[in-house]
Amino acid sequence: MADIESSGGGGHGKHDGGPRSKKMSTRVDLTPMVDLAFLLITFFMLTTTLNKPKAMELNMPKKVDNKDEQQDVGDCQVLNILLDTLDQVWYYDGLQVTGLQKTTFAGDGGIRKVILKKIKTVPEECPLTKKGKKRDAIVLIKMLEGARYKNMVDILDEMDITGCKIYAIQDADPLEKEAIANGGSAKPIEEKVSQ
Amino acid sequence: MPKIKPPRKNPVIDMTAMCDVSFLLLTFFILTAKFKPTEVVAVDLPSSRSSKLVENVCMITINKDGRAFLSLKETTTRYAMLDQMTEKYGEKYPELKALTPQQKNFFALIETWGTPIKDIQRVLSMDGTEFKNYQAKQMQGIPYDSLHSELGDWVQASRYATEGDIKIGIKGDKDVSVQDVKQVINRLTEKDIHRFLLITTLTGPNHSDEEGGNTGTEGETKTQ
Repeated sequence: MADIESSGGGGHGKHDGGPRSKKMSTRVDLTPMVDLAFLLITFFMLTTTLNKPKAMELNMPKKVDNKDEQQDVGDCQVLNILLDTLDQVWYYDGLQVTGLQKTTFAGDGGIRKVILKKIKTVPEECPLTKKGKKRDAIVLIKMLEGARYKNMVDILDEMDITGCKIYAIQDADPLEKEAIANGGSAKPIEEKVSQ
Repeated sequence: MPKIKPPRKNPVIDMTAMCDVSFLLLTFFILTAKFKPTEVVAVDLPSSRSSKLVENVCMITINKDGRAFLSLKETTTRYAMLDQMTEKYGEKYPELKALTPQQKNFFALIETWGTPIKDIQRVLSMDGTEFKNYQAKQMQGIPYDSLHSELGDWVQASRYATEGDIKIGIKGDKDVSVQDVKQVINRLTEKDIHRFLLITTLTGPNHSDEEGGNTGTEGETKTQ
């Protein structure tokens, strides 16, 4: 139906034997047109839906003054993650700034593994809370001045990927900065006891 | 005797109807597609895995230099925000009270705002081309340092204007210092805004631009 050449249109029927007048069919093959139209449709569909920006939710805590509402944090459930200005990730366990390890955001062997391990071990190994509940891992994210925003998003993304529920964004304290500054040379930092 | 010819079947299908339908759809998609709004502030977004869609957002854009800009989609919201700002903080910023209705209308037309309030008179009395020039080159951002945070007041005003029915989005450049983003967040938490949407682009979970390395350190310190 939709082809240009109607195969020997005058071949059968009335004009048998007569002079073969060229009857041009007015029908146009619309297939390429349809192809093109669908191509454009696909393009517009994809561009309209993919263009929307995506968002990540971040809830900052309210200031809690009431002691009872504050959570007690056990030394063994804490994992500290520090982000420095060179896109490196440092981490250490517990509340004492000690034994900093350097790692990266790499998918498999990086910080993700560390977080997952912590999430797994904390409920098993840490003592129960005063109310007798199992403890969950708490991740403290600390960023040095001058760290890139990209890294902050990355680490929040890791929290989402690993399913870590309790995390807090904090400022790095001077001891941690010092530890990172000395980190490369592995020079032990002198013991400091504040108060 | 005429020969009985089996009717020749033509496998060709009429494409006209198909063509009609596809062009109808095409027209629909072309008409409903919105143009990407011209970005006044160029921002290179970080990527993340999250796929939450953004709607009805008061957007705070932080560019590479740490300057903050405020964008609202709707003209009416922008007008209402300016009204609320004048009402609530008129004492604090006398410049706002001196604005003429014409200047207010001009304000409502500007999608991305990034001017300290002390300059608002001057900027709003510019004409079109002059303003475009200003916007492209000289816009210095809304101040958000702890001493005079105008950003917090603006965002607060936008929330009043929409009766709280607006989310706060933060669209930071991936190379901006975390310190700046934190400052912005701090200013907003001071205003009792605790939920934010960090605007990101969607990509896979791999971060290929990082290099591996594992160096132990022996920092031994004690903290309180």
